[in-house]
Amino acid sequence: MTKYTDIELLRQLCLLFGPSGCEDNVADFIREQISDTCDEIYTDRLGSLIAYIGSGKSDRQRLMISAHMDEVGFMINEICDDGYLKFETLGGIDPSVLCGKNVTLGDEVNKIKGVIASKAIHHKKRDERLNITPVSDMYIDIGLSSREDVLKYLDIGAYGTFDSEFIRFGKDGRKIKSKALDDRLGCAVMIEAMRALYPERDSLPMDIYFCFTVREEIGISGAQVAANTIKPDFAIVLETTAVADIAGVADSAKVAIQGEGGAISLMDRSTIYDRELVEFALDVAKKNSVKAQIKKYVSGGNDASHIHKSGVGVRTLALSAPTRYLHSPACVVDAEDYYSILSLVDAMLREWKFAD
Amino acid sequence: MELKRLITSLCSLMSVSGHEQYSYEAVSSLVGKYFDEIKSDGVGNILLVRRCGKENAAKIMIDTHFDEIGMLVTKIHEGGFLSVTSVGGLDLSILQATDVVIYGRETITGVIASTPPHLKKDKSAKKLTELSELLIDTGYEKEELEKIVSVGTPVGFSPVYTELLGDRMCGKSFDNKACAAAAIYALSKIDRANLAADVYLLLSCHEETLPTGGVAAGAFAVEPDYAMVIDVNLARVPDTPRHETVDFDAGVSISISAVTDKRLTRAVEQLCREKKIKYTRVAAPSSTGTNTPALNLTGRGVPTVDIGLPLKSMHTYNEVLCIGDVLELSALVREFVCSEKIREGFAI
Repeated sequence: MTKYTDIELLRQLCLLFGPSGCEDNVADFIREQISDTCDEIYTDRLGSLIAYIGSGKSDRQRLMISAHMDEVGFMINEICDDGYLKFETLGGIDPSVLCGKNVTLGDEVNKIKGVIASKAIHHKKRDERLNITPVSDMYIDIGLSSREDVLKYLDIGAYGTFDSEFIRFGKDGRKIKSKALDDRLGCAVMIEAMRALYPERDSLPMDIYFCFTVREEIGISGAQVAANTIKPDFAIVLETTAVADIAGVADSAKVAIQGEGGAISLMDRSTIYDRELVEFALDVAKKNSVKAQIKKYVSGGNDASHIHKSGVGVRTLALSAPTRYLHSPACVVDAEDYYSILSLVDAMLREWKFAD
Repeated sequence: MELKRLITSLCSLMSVSGHEQYSYEAVSSLVGKYFDEIKSDGVGNILLVRRCGKENAAKIMIDTHFDEIGMLVTKIHEGGFLSVTSVGGLDLSILQATDVVIYGRETITGVIASTPPHLKKDKSAKKLTELSELLIDTGYEKEELEKIVSVGTPVGFSPVYTELLGDRMCGKSFDNKACAAAAIYALSKIDRANLAADVYLLLSCHEETLPTGGVAAGAFAVEPDYAMVIDVNLARVPDTPRHETVDFDAGVSISISAVTDKRLTRAVEQLCREKKIKYTRVAAPSSTGTNTPALNLTGRGVPTVDIGLPLKSMHTYNEVLCIGDVLELSALVREFVCSEKIREGFAI
């Protein structure tokens, strides 16, 4: 693997259109990528894509690995007479990152470009210049000037995502900036893991269910249903986690540090993780000289919340890429962390020690 | 060159107010071939000259300011972060989670930091993060960054252009390089024999930052007989007053003002009607908010008409313009510099 160049899969995934509730494009792309590296693929009743590598024997342990396909986005809730569109956010987006941004609107078939705007600075009063513009004062401009014209392209309920370039920056292009790294990065890690493992599937001591889930960002989690049907013994959630490792932030509040490997959660707002799995992950990292770190701040939450409480309970681990500026059109991860996570997941699956 | 490509090529160039000379070579190689002469001056103006070939020709000046809003680096922090200050009227509400270009010893990319909702301490906070507290993430270590960037290095928005429906475009710095593009587009297509006078297209500096801009020095050197100032004008969008805005997709705007020349303005309106160029009038009693007053007062005084290109979301990196309006503007420039009638009325 050539460092910093093998990012094409991640790039393609990030640029796909997949707001919560409209993940079809992402699912179709992933299905194509993994069709030759698993024993079976199916889409469940909520839309999650589930791929399976294993023996099919019912007495074997089942490991669920999950990453969500959806990204934060928008939904159009009003089409004004003069052709502007009003919207709500889909998932948690701070209004400070919205004004001026490019967006893509539509559904899994049709897409058009737009830009989020409010009135120009010249027309803002002093307090309006200093305060966060409420979403209700913003609108999306798609270039048309009547409701009638807009209705030829989209209607109330149209989905939206940020439209942002995937770029490399920093020393030797070490940093990656894109929309939707949360959680296409997790999807990319799963796809790469499947490619590496499938040829050696006969030596695996457990059955693995790779779950590309829907609707994490709105909390009505597709992962819950996936876990209900798979009934795993163990789960690994591959995620991104918000970090604040920037200038002026106290070390204790940084959450995790970019470049120090995947962040392993002990606890967050909705899950207390399995301590033995945490120790296992840290041991495997150490043994293989792969960087990993403990997430040092109780914040956020992810699909683990639903997975670990499903059925009779599931022993769960979360491994996240430290990500700056999460839920914005300009999320930033360190390519080194992406590679560390790829290596750690691969090593953990090869050295899995919990099967009978 | 095709109009949209000319617009994006010019608007992509770095010309943060005070750094207009940075792109002199690029302007020269991009559009120099359409002109008889190109030169810069001691202030930062770029002058493009198109001659009509007649002896003792009159002189027309077209002014389109060429500088753009932007930022300057004020501090380099540990971890490769930069603090910046504004150049011109920067809209604080659009800055977070934005891609920028840092024009140091190398040109590098950066991202303006934002705080994700997960880590926001006061979720009900109303105030935007002030510019002095915003950071640009460069992805370099401080020591490496100091070799590329120093205090005073200019920073601009990333040049990304998107075509919208209805033949609209959005992107950075249409204020005012889209107007420069419209003028260059017109001048590049006129046969020398049709010009009514020599044409001096002034790509003027410092409009976004200084009250008199660079236009005064640029015009003083040329001593034009009459002039047209072209700048973007605030287009009507939701929640803006009708009398302070102009119609979008309705051609150019013509300012009626005490600081413009009444006779020249009427002659241009007449020209628009004759040549079927779409325009709307806008009342700007004592101030046009453009280079017009400064140009008007240069030397012995220059009769000046003030023309606007309607623009939405001005001073953002996604200003929205209508290509139809740019074409009307380009047509007006063509007819203006070819009008014998106007030359007869205003040549000294």
